[in-house]
Amino acid sequence: MTEVGLVFFPAFDWAISPDHPERQERLLYTRDQIQEEGLFDHPSIREYRPRLAEDYEILRTHVVLPSLEQTVTESHRIAAGGTIAASDLVLDGRAQRAFALLRPPGHHANRIVHGSRGFCLLNNEAIMVDHLRSRLGPELKVAIVDTDAHHGDGTQDIFYNDPGVLHISLHQDGRTLYPGTGFITERGGPGAYGQTVNIPLPPGTGDEGMLTAMERVVLPILRDWQPDYIINAAGQDNHFSDPITNMGFSAQGYAQLTEMLKPDIVVLEGGYSIESALPYINVGLLLALAGLDYSKVQEPQARLEPQPKTITNQVAAICDEIIELWGRRLEADLGEIFGEADFFERRRQIYYDTDNIYENQQEHIRLCQDCPGWRVIFTHSNRVRQVTAVVMLPWQPCPGCREEAKEQHRQLLGDEQFGQVIWQDPAKVLPALES
Amino acid sequence: MLAAFMVGIDVGGTNTDAVLLRGAEVEALIKVPTDPSDLLGSTTLALHKVLEHYKEAKPVKLHLSTTLSTNAIVEGRGSPTQVVTVPGPGVNLKSLDFPFTLVELDGYIDHRGREISPLQLEQVSRLRNVLGESGEALAIVGKFSQRNPAHEQSLKEEIAKWHKGIITLGHRLSGRANFPRRIVTAYLNSSIARQQLEFLRVWQKVQGSAIGEILILKADGGTMTLEDSAERPIESILSGPAASIMGVKALAQCAEANFLIVDIGGTTTDLAAVVDGEVLFERDGATISGYKTLVPAVLARSTGLGGDSRIRYEAGTGIVIGPERAGTPVCLGGEHLTPTDAAAALGLASVGSQEAARQAWRDWGESLGLSGEKLASEVFQAFVNQLRRLVEDFYTELESMPLYTIREVLDPPRLRPAAVVGLGAPAPVFIPALANNMGLPWEVLPFASGANAIGAAAARATVGVTLQADTQLGKVTIPEMGYQGDLHRPLFFDLGKARSLAEEKTREYAESLGYDASGEVYIVEEESFQMVRGFRTVGQTHMVRTQLRPEVCRVRGEDG
Repeated sequence: MTEVGLVFFPAFDWAISPDHPERQERLLYTRDQIQEEGLFDHPSIREYRPRLAEDYEILRTHVVLPSLEQTVTESHRIAAGGTIAASDLVLDGRAQRAFALLRPPGHHANRIVHGSRGFCLLNNEAIMVDHLRSRLGPELKVAIVDTDAHHGDGTQDIFYNDPGVLHISLHQDGRTLYPGTGFITERGGPGAYGQTVNIPLPPGTGDEGMLTAMERVVLPILRDWQPDYIINAAGQDNHFSDPITNMGFSAQGYAQLTEMLKPDIVVLEGGYSIESALPYINVGLLLALAGLDYSKVQEPQARLEPQPKTITNQVAAICDEIIELWGRRLEADLGEIFGEADFFERRRQIYYDTDNIYENQQEHIRLCQDCPGWRVIFTHSNRVRQVTAVVMLPWQPCPGCREEAKEQHRQLLGDEQFGQVIWQDPAKVLPALES
Repeated sequence: MLAAFMVGIDVGGTNTDAVLLRGAEVEALIKVPTDPSDLLGSTTLALHKVLEHYKEAKPVKLHLSTTLSTNAIVEGRGSPTQVVTVPGPGVNLKSLDFPFTLVELDGYIDHRGREISPLQLEQVSRLRNVLGESGEALAIVGKFSQRNPAHEQSLKEEIAKWHKGIITLGHRLSGRANFPRRIVTAYLNSSIARQQLEFLRVWQKVQGSAIGEILILKADGGTMTLEDSAERPIESILSGPAASIMGVKALAQCAEANFLIVDIGGTTTDLAAVVDGEVLFERDGATISGYKTLVPAVLARSTGLGGDSRIRYEAGTGIVIGPERAGTPVCLGGEHLTPTDAAAALGLASVGSQEAARQAWRDWGESLGLSGEKLASEVFQAFVNQLRRLVEDFYTELESMPLYTIREVLDPPRLRPAAVVGLGAPAPVFIPALANNMGLPWEVLPFASGANAIGAAAARATVGVTLQADTQLGKVTIPEMGYQGDLHRPLFFDLGKARSLAEEKTREYAESLGYDASGEVYIVEEESFQMVRGFRTVGQTHMVRTQLRPEVCRVRGEDG
């Protein structure tokens, strides 16, 4: 029996809008089921309160525009703070594993935040990962396994050049679903190449395909990389009854996946089959986390047909390709991929579907032999029209990069074309410096 | 016209307290030792003794708080009881290690009370062979039966054709969601039902002759009729702590919205909290002898620290008091020093021989290199400090209750006390010191050592229901009443209508049980959600939990 700390926060008084999938009702039936199953007072499961995330905890990870006050609501602060609270249960030894079963979700939130996209504003697990590093040191190795049906593009964006984080996302193929990314070719920035691992699965993939990908790709990579902590971004929209995706996963499949992954901390992401899937998935997930018998957990409707053979073959081929890329990631010629110049430049247009915002972003990463490199990002949108410049340091910058970044920041501050010039040094963000 | 006489009796583990009230006046308050092997004898003795000097008094009512059910459960003396369950999918019941066997039947009701799969008739007809006809007590419990009792009801109908014993249905005991607790509660209820029936027969003879009406105290501090107690004996467990708290409600002058109740006895101290003028209840229900139940109960935390606790001196730690009992204090002729002896030696309490206590402290102090007075005062301070830590732990526990709304997280319920109210024989000595330590005003109840009996006498009937309405399905359910009905105009059934219906049904239920239904019906808890399917509102779900709240009868304290 494993002791599980549960931070359950259904936000019964908050919705994006009354009829939105992210509404008061979303975790109601999950609450009913967990309560009726007696899991809130099971000896191995203990419930804890969430808390509000502090400004510095958010700003260590994000750049929020035009400002925290104008963009972040209390619900987002509680979801992020509740996720931090869940991780503290594990760090403080109050639980062996923790589950942040809360909303709103976070994995589509990028580092730069102009508003909500994919129902997400703050990236709960990214904020939590940076909290872990602030407590345990910048050398910490954290693996995030995102099992939501949608590509965890926000989390990927935040950590794509971060050698301390391995981000693995299993999702419905981006050609068939929001946000339209998450291809095998997206493998990370120059400072963490290969540590972004995408496993796009064909629509209709069921338990067999998901568990095959776990067995053949996720677990071997984790064994290879040896993380200190494993986080599961547990979206529950792979379920066959989910109204906005096309996957074939079941509650039993989820529980088995959890048992295989043995995550230290689980964070709820999406999942909008609020009556037919969530109550059963969450009960199965909790039981599996606690090492209890989940064999009798089953959703009311009959399952889909077994996964078609063609999908099984497709999944096998995808797995082969990814594991081969992983094995050869250190041999990659970074000069060929990112160029031989001093900086790697990336320009993007990002659409915020929830808030209907278009962002234009230009990013320059310093290609450095000694550290992941400092960055400067220029961003503007139809919400924040004047360009914001952000100078960012990695968690462990080399002295040269720190000096160059400081100089860049000083120059930008004197340039009047920028609305804001922001400095982000995650390792130096401390509550005492905030005021 | 003279005010009516009434009697309150609290049968405790050590003593049985009895009070005779005339209106709000205490006419007599007596104490007899409890004979655990003859609770009935102890009770009748107390009754006769309290009525001794008032031959003319023919009390209209007797309120009885007894440990009968509690003891039967704690000592494992319940009748053999079989449990039939309809678990549906979910947690494997076999993994929950119930200390009794269960029969599991097919059938499945979901969280909205919809039947997903029906009972299997051939399984039901086989039950007769599975259970045998000898079984004297039975419990039938289905998952989500509080949302739809149909499976439990039809099983009872079938089983009652051949089973002549007691049958408890899970949904009648509580409207709360918690299947394992519902199973345990129904099981315990059936297992103690025969004993309660015997109890009922004994007291029914007394009822109407010596006494007008006999009512039984419940764990929630309310009363129920003898007949009712035979149906739901489980509700009479743990009525002792509830009696004390009712005593506070009847006697305390404290006008604070939030205060702490400390009931100090010889062996244990019980803590309870009043918040916004109401006593806090257990979130799910009482826990008894390791059994987690759905029985509504005042939230009281008991700890092994009392006037007669054992005192140890440990190198490093210092003085440790309790949790076990030392026995009679030295000042009263006992052999071991106790906190009561510390109070006696320091002149804080006039109990027994002050000199005997002082001598004993001197003797022990000598071996530790301390003066007797110094040692006694350190023990006294250690008692207060230990109690203070327990109070802190108690409020820390209360403040860890989960919160599910942004409103509550931003402004969490304020639970901390603004005053301390004490009762129990050692209370006058220790409560002022505790309150002083906490920086709060204090009050010790008059009749501090009989407040439990007064509380029993002052208690009134409580009845509550849980209404669950689902306007998409057009259904409304009140499990406690076994009621399930159709909503006539579901679209117009809003939370306001749910509240009025819940109030109306609460009164109807109270009347059907023979209680005064004229008191205020208040809403303990409510919830209301829009149900949206495919970006369209298809209905609403409302939950309203009520409680009929009659005023506790106020009792006058001594005027000095």
